[in-house]
Amino acid sequence: MKSFKIPVEHTTLPNGLRVVVSQDRTAPVVTVGVYYQIGFRLEPHGRSGFAHLFEHMMFQGSENAGKMEHIRLINSSGGLLNGTTNYDLTNYFESVPSNALERVLWLEADRMRALKVDDENLRNQRDVVKEEVRVNVMNQPYGGFPWLDLPPVAFRNWQNAHNFYGDFADLDAASLDDVQRFFHTYYAPNNAVLLMVGDLEPAGAFEMARRYFANIPANPKTPRADVTEKPQTEERRGHVEEKFGPLPAIAIGYTLPERGTHERNVAGIVDRVLHGGRAGRVYRRLVLEKQIAVEADGHAEIVDTNGPTQMVTRIFHKPEFTTDETMTAFDEVIAELHDREISEEELDAVKVKFRSDYYSMLEGGMGSYMPRFGLMHYLACFTMFDGDPDRINTVLDGFLNVTPAEAQAYARKYLVAKNRAIVFRTPVAKGGAQ
Amino acid sequence: MTTTSTVPQRPASPQSTPPALAPERPVQWPHREVRTLANGMQVVLAESHTFPKIAAQLYFRAGNALVAHRSPGLASMAAAVVRTGTTSRSSHRIEEDLRRMGADLGTSAGADSSTISVAGLSEFSAGLLDLVGDLARNASFPEEEFERERRQRLEEVKIERTTPGFLANERLRRVLFGKHPYAIVAPTEAQVAAYERAHLVEYYKQHYSPADALLIVVGDFATSEMFAQIERTFGDWRAPQPEAPKSAEPPHHTGRHVHLVHLPGSVQTQVLLGNLAITRRAPDWHATVLANAIYGGAFHSRLVINIREQKGYTYSPRSGVNPLRQYGYFTVSAAVRNDVAAATLTEVFYEMDRIRALPVTPEELDSARSYLTGVFSLGVATLDGLSGQLSTVYLDKLPEGYLENYRDRVRALTADDVIAAARRHFDSADAQIVIVGDREQIAEQAALFGDVSTYNAQGDLIG
Repeated sequence: MKSFKIPVEHTTLPNGLRVVVSQDRTAPVVTVGVYYQIGFRLEPHGRSGFAHLFEHMMFQGSENAGKMEHIRLINSSGGLLNGTTNYDLTNYFESVPSNALERVLWLEADRMRALKVDDENLRNQRDVVKEEVRVNVMNQPYGGFPWLDLPPVAFRNWQNAHNFYGDFADLDAASLDDVQRFFHTYYAPNNAVLLMVGDLEPAGAFEMARRYFANIPANPKTPRADVTEKPQTEERRGHVEEKFGPLPAIAIGYTLPERGTHERNVAGIVDRVLHGGRAGRVYRRLVLEKQIAVEADGHAEIVDTNGPTQMVTRIFHKPEFTTDETMTAFDEVIAELHDREISEEELDAVKVKFRSDYYSMLEGGMGSYMPRFGLMHYLACFTMFDGDPDRINTVLDGFLNVTPAEAQAYARKYLVAKNRAIVFRTPVAKGGAQ
Repeated sequence: MTTTSTVPQRPASPQSTPPALAPERPVQWPHREVRTLANGMQVVLAESHTFPKIAAQLYFRAGNALVAHRSPGLASMAAAVVRTGTTSRSSHRIEEDLRRMGADLGTSAGADSSTISVAGLSEFSAGLLDLVGDLARNASFPEEEFERERRQRLEEVKIERTTPGFLANERLRRVLFGKHPYAIVAPTEAQVAAYERAHLVEYYKQHYSPADALLIVVGDFATSEMFAQIERTFGDWRAPQPEAPKSAEPPHHTGRHVHLVHLPGSVQTQVLLGNLAITRRAPDWHATVLANAIYGGAFHSRLVINIREQKGYTYSPRSGVNPLRQYGYFTVSAAVRNDVAAATLTEVFYEMDRIRALPVTPEELDSARSYLTGVFSLGVATLDGLSGQLSTVYLDKLPEGYLENYRDRVRALTADDVIAAARRHFDSADAQIVIVGDREQIAEQAALFGDVSTYNAQGDLIG
């Protein structure tokens, strides 16, 4: 195994802003991110979709960069930008030629300092968000499957279980006052991490960060929603109609061990035993061998969530097989993990692939035009949730040390019916909407 | 604006205007070496040692366009089955070998090429190249794997026909390309059912040939060793160059026409319109890309500002110049609220007519040039981006120096170049308009823009 180390330097400004930099001279470009520890899971009770709507508002204008000015300055510097809302964080990021680093920091500081938006901006982005929901969910086959379908079945705490994109009535109820209050509550330097990755000098990058961010005051009263779930005692099931697509689909979610435990590492490895393309046990059994399904894969968010999270398997099965037949085949795969240890050979192969995937994630992670997005994202998660950006260089060890016995023990404890939720997404009419 | 300012004010920014850009740092193109093997295969290698990975892509310049008139999608089906067995490896073994080397494999075909691509840990470079060679030369097309893949493809075809974006693209390609094979982007269920293993094998034998192949490898390796490995893997492979048949010319459209694809129950309308344009080989390619960046090809572009940021009609407006090998085409797309389908088209054409009629401002010109040159350098920083840029140049046989000269070519463009390109290639008057949605909601709006032909999702003309 080739040794490989990511250079990481970090500091915390007096206002609580954590700043993490990683130099990479591959090309004269830099990727910058500002991460806020507020995600759709953490949004205020009864205000579904607000965290995401608010993310849109952060592009609508700040004190010194009016509407479209932020976007114009990034694009005209030769850069790309975006933002995303996740379970436990919201991020804003830019990839630019490295000569634009200072400009990007000025822009990000300006919108961390003061959001300057009006009612028209809010109405406009409410309309944009509704079209986003239509194009991604309401007007697509299998839209929202299973990321919007599973949480309301799997969880009982509203924070984990609500509609993250937002009910349109809740979106309509959002006011400008809500926007400014949310901003001043959560968008404070002590609730954020600033990341700079790429062609930069760390000392100079820290200096620039201080110049633009240092006098933004902290908000000592940043609340954090309680996302704990009561222990689950039996399997949970739900049904959702599929309006367009012709195939029945099933999503199965098993709740993961808590962040920071070794069991969570084991879960990460077992996820890759089950999933990860054609060599994964689920695909092999359901698609290649039994040919019940035409697609079957899954994923566990090990690094980027900080609350109840599931390993999720998605299966699209042929209509001539019943859901019971499909579930029986899936359950056999799970039972084998209970009954027999994984061979060293299979485990070794899974670990090689795990390591390779980790490097690819760091290198790209969001398409080839956001260099090192994944590195930035993981540094942000390790900083925000674990207080330790250096985990970027050690986190692999935890996964690569997993033993066959640990994997079996994990399966017996966690991959059980009373720790899972299942959603059946069933076409309304045979052959779809035609 | 009426903010009830109950929230605390924060201290002002130390600076109220954006900092100037620092001096630009030069883009170092990764050192690359290009050789052609005795069998005709062109090999392009570029080292990049930041991460311990390599990515290899083997291209054959033959794809679905070659078979569109007898068996649409056959090249894609062949590519799907290529990965399921060779004379010495079972499907199972191939997948195990990949995982053991930390690798992902893709086998696919587009209109103009078929590709075997692999990315994995550099410590397994030899094994990865060996696998690519095995799939390229010794695929065995196991009957049962073919049947399974075909059934999977059949189900995918059904799902495609419920997807607005797919239906819009399929219809526009049919309209723009007529009898040219680019008209057909996907098979029907019946066409998938008619695939035969023998046809796949025949296609593979004929078109997976080193004579006109291109192999690009980027990542963490030593060039001399990699060349030696490639020579060992592919050097003794001999096969004739496949013939490239002539294709029919695409039609010339005069006047706008609306092609409505009826998808009952749609809660949104997918708009996609366009016209034939140019390929990367055209002398005004760069000018056209620049005009597109100003029109609708960037977040900060006129169309996005207009129909998203001012009017809120859509989340995802975009325009693009799409270069295939023989022809290119210009498109504008947006998924919009049903009641603003006509309003959207009005703005799309307003902006198109404006960029054709009036010179762009110096600020817009400067901003868009910087956008293109900057984004271009972002692509050099990842293995995917790098191999994508190399494939752009070598697959289409663009002039040597295309990458190195790209930024200077863009910087030299003027407002005159932009307006000339827009007038030639953003054909507002003859645009072919596809809208996908529920016709009860949108047919009347559609009729405002030209005669309407209505299709169902299966592609049958229904009105």
